[in-house]
Amino acid sequence: MSVKPDVIRKCLWPACLVGLFITGILSLDCNFLNIHLSRVTWQNLRLLSVMSNSFSIECLRENKAFELPEEILSHTQPVKNDIKEAFYEASIQAFNIFSQYTFRSAWEEKHLKQIQIGLGQQLQYLEQCLEEEEKENEDMKEMEEEGTKHSATMVPRLSHLELRRYFNRIDNFLKEKKYSHCAWEIVRVEIRRCFYLLLKSIALLRRK
Amino acid sequence: MRRHPKGGRFYYKYKREKGTNLKSPQNVEVYIVDDSCILKWSGSDEFVSNVTFSVDYQIPEIDDWIKLPGCQYVTSTQCDFSSLQLNVYDEVKLRVRAEKGNDTSPWYEVDSFIPFQKAQIGPPEVHLEAEDRAVILNISPPGTQDSVMWAMDSSSFTYSLVIWKNSSSGEKRTETVYPRDKIYKLSPETTYCLKVRARLRVQRKVGLYSPVSCINTTVENKLPPPENIQIDSNNWNYIIKWDYKYENMTFQAQWLYGYLKKFPGKHEDKWKQLPDCENVKTTQCVFPRSTFSRGIYFVRVQASNGNNTSLWSEEKRFDTEIQTIILPPLINLKSVNGSLRVYIGAPKESENKSVDQPYRLTYEINFWENTSDTQSKILQKKTDFTFLNLKPLTVYCVKARALILEEKWNKSSDFSDTVCEKTKPGNTSRTLLIAGICIALLILAAVVYVVRVLWRCINYVFFPSSKPPSAVDEYFSEHLLKNLLLSTSAEQIERCFVIENTNTVSAAEETNHAGEDYKKYGSQTSQDSGNYSNEDENSGSGLSEEVLLQGAV
Repeated sequence: MSVKPDVIRKCLWPACLVGLFITGILSLDCNFLNIHLSRVTWQNLRLLSVMSNSFSIECLRENKAFELPEEILSHTQPVKNDIKEAFYEASIQAFNIFSQYTFRSAWEEKHLKQIQIGLGQQLQYLEQCLEEEEKENEDMKEMEEEGTKHSATMVPRLSHLELRRYFNRIDNFLKEKKYSHCAWEIVRVEIRRCFYLLLKSIALLRRK
Repeated sequence: MRRHPKGGRFYYKYKREKGTNLKSPQNVEVYIVDDSCILKWSGSDEFVSNVTFSVDYQIPEIDDWIKLPGCQYVTSTQCDFSSLQLNVYDEVKLRVRAEKGNDTSPWYEVDSFIPFQKAQIGPPEVHLEAEDRAVILNISPPGTQDSVMWAMDSSSFTYSLVIWKNSSSGEKRTETVYPRDKIYKLSPETTYCLKVRARLRVQRKVGLYSPVSCINTTVENKLPPPENIQIDSNNWNYIIKWDYKYENMTFQAQWLYGYLKKFPGKHEDKWKQLPDCENVKTTQCVFPRSTFSRGIYFVRVQASNGNNTSLWSEEKRFDTEIQTIILPPLINLKSVNGSLRVYIGAPKESENKSVDQPYRLTYEINFWENTSDTQSKILQKKTDFTFLNLKPLTVYCVKARALILEEKWNKSSDFSDTVCEKTKPGNTSRTLLIAGICIALLILAAVVYVVRVLWRCINYVFFPSSKPPSAVDEYFSEHLLKNLLLSTSAEQIERCFVIENTNTVSAAEETNHAGEDYKKYGSQTSQDSGNYSNEDENSGSGLSEEVLLQGAV
């Protein structure tokens, strides 16, 4: 029993919304890479919807609330960079998770490859972008030199920690369910949702 | 109060309670490097022996303090709690106290902390392999393979490397490297030393440097690797070009998925051949765009001349997004009422699939009259617009190209094919035409009507209808009517006969006088209407009748 038409319908709407919101990213302080970043991000989001042929209803039983940290998505983020870093973190974690995929039969090889390529691209652009900003940011240079001094600089990155805990829950879920097909499906949908909400926050922040 | 043996100072003790002789451990600190978690402290009193320490821990789900195994009543001033199998993202609390005999110091509680946040990135492991002008790196991430601390970060580390020549000048060069990477632009037969450290960008963690490793580059290879790899693209293909010193070489090219570079470990076997670039004789090779789906790839080239092969060239990163080619758009013209409507459509690939062009495109449209040379250019973002106020019945031509006009990135497509279209006759002449047609129709209608009327008149005058109205028919018989109608022309004359002769003449004279009266009578009493109408003639006959009558009296 396939709920494909429903899932696709559900996906088209957020995908379109993201397409509209994507322009929000363009104004963040990175150079022309943003054009590519937004395009690639949107394509990845779309790919996350398309890569699965069917989401069986039985998998819904195994659904789990991963509790995406809402603070990250709040519009009261004082610094735009925070949310971009959160997005970078989410991208890395998603990349790591999908790299563990070995379940051959469900997702087509090419889709899996494409999502890995796509996330790799996304990461590349984000890295370059953040590096550029870092170079401009004098404060960061001081930290670079003090390699031995461990993070007594507890600049509270609690939001990132929350995000990490979220992905840790996803990771543990996969291990618990022994990387079953249903577990992968649920994770795929969850990551898609996470990306979508992050992108939306970025766009809304930009409007402020 | 007790006098402290050291320097005469007095230590005032508080209430003499059980376990309060000892002071809590001092300088308690947590050191976490990779998976090794160590609590260190210093005893309050170095000279006092037989002091042991115990450590307890607490995790969020459980309210009680739990005794840390392996750290109970230990004499050392540190405790390794790595084996606890804690969730590194959860808060942990520790406390430590000193014991001596039956005395215990108060607990010293360490502020609760999250192991991951406190953790320091340890040194990575580096393996080196030398080439003549490059060094191949193989960096293993910090911690062990089963590291709990960095379980989610194995591909997230970014590495920075510092390399220098071992000789006196020792000029240092810093680079960001992948776990499997190569350092280029080195000199052969030289000793280089380097050190690497890992970094987690988002967490602002900078790791410790690995120990310095040195390596000697090899003797220069007979064949140098190809240099200066450039990748260009056109509408249908990618073109790789490179430089090579020597002639008569054959080359081959390989490619790799970009994302594989993020993973540590060998991916020598993951390089794939570029099929169109095997054993090419020229310093370039062309392969279709369809070879690569969108993404980031690495490309490398190798030269060979049969006997020897060179080493692989530098790995050139190749991004299909940046290499993207904008195809020229399709133009559709439609002439509407003295203006020209332009539709700009998406370009189609050869298989009739329309190409995905998600960038915001601006179109540069060249527009000119077919006969003149002057072209006007406009920039438009809309794909459907109209040129107004054009001359009627003239041929205009349009060609366009698509542009991406973003900060720091200009790309333009080739011009599309030129499309020409003739404008329709203008508005005014068209209305005149319509008006003319209408008027003509009206005139025609009028003429027809007039002709009909005339025809009726003619018919009425020259060919009247002979049928009387039906009302008349009722009152008169057909025969009588005929007589009445026809008697206008012919009249019947009665014949008169004289009956008496002269005797009667005198009587007739008298009667003439009487006759005049009789005439009067006759005229008065004559009843014969028909005869009256012709009085002159009929009176004669009437007189005659009167005479007859008189005669009879």
